[in-house]
Amino acid sequence: MTTAEARADGAAAPPGAREPTARRRRTPGRAPSDPKPIVGWLFIAPNLLGVLAFTFIPLVSVILLSFTEWNLVSGFGGIEFVALDNFIAVFQDPTFWRSLVITILYAGVAVPLTLVVGLALALALNRDIPARGLLRAAFFVPYIVNIVAIGMTWQMLLDPSAGLMNQFLGIFGLEHLPQWFASSHWALPALILVTIWAQAGYANLIYLSALQDAPTQLYEAARIDGAGRWASFRAITWPSLLPTTVFLLVTLFVGISQTFGMIALITNGGPGDSTTTLSFYMYQTSFQFYRFGYASAVGLVTFIGIFALMLLMWRAQRGKALHD
Amino acid sequence: MHPAGRRLPSRRQFAGALGAVAGTAAVAGCSSGPAKDMNTLQVWGGIPAENGPQQVIDRFQEEHPDITVEYTRYINDDRGNVKLNTALQGGVDIDVFFTYGVPNLTMRVSSGLAADVGDLVRSTPELEMFLDTDDPKALIDGDEITALATTRIPQMVLFNDELRERAGIDLPQQWTFEEYLEAIRALAADGKYGTYVLPDLARIELGPNYRFTADGDSNFSHPAFLRHFDLAAELIREGVLYPWSQALARQLEAYQQNNFIAEDFGLWTTAPYSLRFLTDQEEYPHDFTVSAAPVPTLDGADWNTGEYGAFVQINSKSPKQEIAWEFSKFWLLHGGQDLIRAGYISLLGDIDDDQLLEGILGEDAEQFFDVDSFRRTLFEDQPRMHLDTELTAYTEITQKYEQQRDVCWLLERSPTKAIETVDKNAQALIDRFEED
Repeated sequence: MTTAEARADGAAAPPGAREPTARRRRTPGRAPSDPKPIVGWLFIAPNLLGVLAFTFIPLVSVILLSFTEWNLVSGFGGIEFVALDNFIAVFQDPTFWRSLVITILYAGVAVPLTLVVGLALALALNRDIPARGLLRAAFFVPYIVNIVAIGMTWQMLLDPSAGLMNQFLGIFGLEHLPQWFASSHWALPALILVTIWAQAGYANLIYLSALQDAPTQLYEAARIDGAGRWASFRAITWPSLLPTTVFLLVTLFVGISQTFGMIALITNGGPGDSTTTLSFYMYQTSFQFYRFGYASAVGLVTFIGIFALMLLMWRAQRGKALHD
Repeated sequence: MHPAGRRLPSRRQFAGALGAVAGTAAVAGCSSGPAKDMNTLQVWGGIPAENGPQQVIDRFQEEHPDITVEYTRYINDDRGNVKLNTALQGGVDIDVFFTYGVPNLTMRVSSGLAADVGDLVRSTPELEMFLDTDDPKALIDGDEITALATTRIPQMVLFNDELRERAGIDLPQQWTFEEYLEAIRALAADGKYGTYVLPDLARIELGPNYRFTADGDSNFSHPAFLRHFDLAAELIREGVLYPWSQALARQLEAYQQNNFIAEDFGLWTTAPYSLRFLTDQEEYPHDFTVSAAPVPTLDGADWNTGEYGAFVQINSKSPKQEIAWEFSKFWLLHGGQDLIRAGYISLLGDIDDDQLLEGILGEDAEQFFDVDSFRRTLFEDQPRMHLDTELTAYTEITQKYEQQRDVCWLLERSPTKAIETVDKNAQALIDRFEED
């Protein structure tokens, strides 16, 4: 057994022993004149500390907490290990299942529609039209607007009696106007509408950059072969956009299924429980009901579910893109 | 032994691991705080300092020149309460704190954050009222007392006198719920509504712990709850009550005063803390006078829908228990005259009704209020208030109740179905919490 193997096996080297210089490991690609590794560590230390403090430790804490009963107020001494009880309770909790259905409905409708609107905007803004730069910027603005401003603006626009939307719909003589956020039937569709408005600019931007990478020689060949616009879109544009679409699908689904601020600001999960998504239910369970262990279990189950769904999406698109 | 041969971690090991992770996180952000100044008292409360607490503190410091009191205001909402809870748990220097709402109270007490002041209360004759277990104003468990209510928050019915006289309604001094209904129906005319929301009929009839039967089960099958949902839905449909759809869409629950001042409705059931809006002519200008009437009685039942509140508690970890108690006692016995400007009617104190009225209604009281009606309603009538002490799943049940109330008053679900759902959910929560 070589010294290196012995080390790999965990055997301690004799005190004072030193490896022969010729056999010292060297990191591949690092020139002998490179500064000491400590300098590299110092460069990444701020980021590493940030990830450790704000991602890794909270993540591990959530995993550990999900096996406990804890109300925060009782301190660490009040943490009670309950094994799998929280997970059993989660699967028996009708509110969890109801929130799951609402989350799937919300993200399941909002994400595809955001992609459709984003793609339509990108196709339109990729053409040579007047004020193209201004329009591109204008459609991106909602994505960077503060969530509080979005909430207040849409609350006013969708006010059932004085809102602009219903006044506009009233022009057409509609009798039963939607009550939007003041109806348990309309609150989720209204939330989806606001979400699409806020997120379509992001999808538009990503699609635009992908369109500018599209293989122009294929379009020329298609035109020579007499293909129309729709045929070119179906055979060239869409397959070349597939990896971008999957990327957007995954990132938007993860983001939208975790929407919290907008729900807290506009509907507070209601009317009834019509907009209580899983992320809002987690908030209620932890910061209103002080059941942090249970909320962690809900969070962990949600995370595993979303992760599995993302893997499925990723696998489903493999080999179908134009570049593949 | 676990079937796979691996043992589950013990409770101690698990808590240790969690503590280690949390501790690692804490190390970066926390260092040991400065040594506690034994003559400086740290007080956390929900009332802005300038609305009374600072004046109480100033007078306390005059009497105790060797003690300094520092007041920190926290917002009494979810985030504010989490902030106070983590501060208390994390060892932040807090000696006295105020708790609003019974659920927060019990959680803090059951977690050992509040000191037992039972012996101190028993040895102070002026505080005898806190020993009354039939009409509790403190959190009492055997000999232990861990929280003392500092204020009573009676509900009352306010009238816009102009609209009242136009509708031909005499100002009631005592009235039944039927007379109340006649009044709001008469007020609902010319594009105005009668009132914002009905007083809680079930509370008027059942008083404290009204959500629970004597056996601790859900009491929502009691006809009083269905009556409340049903009547309110009917009155919303008739246009007598303010439309719940607008109340929800505009999130008016916390801003009802705006609609009363805008004369959207002529009658408003509220508590003295709302009177500060009516005394503020700059921010809330209005030219009508306001009079007060008691909450109506219902089939002979006369529980006021108001409660005892703003509980003072001493941090059990405070090393300054003695001066913390001195301050708490001072607040209870002598804070009344300063806190009245925030609409807090002290339970005790050396202050008469006229001073209280002046504090609540302001200097120009006669110009904007029927002062005698307020004196009668708030002080002479001695409204019967409650303190809920049965608190199983209190917050969760409140949420389920409000969810069904909303869909019922939006006229999307029948009152019967809504109350049945509340009852079923409440019983399920009670069963689950009792199992735990």
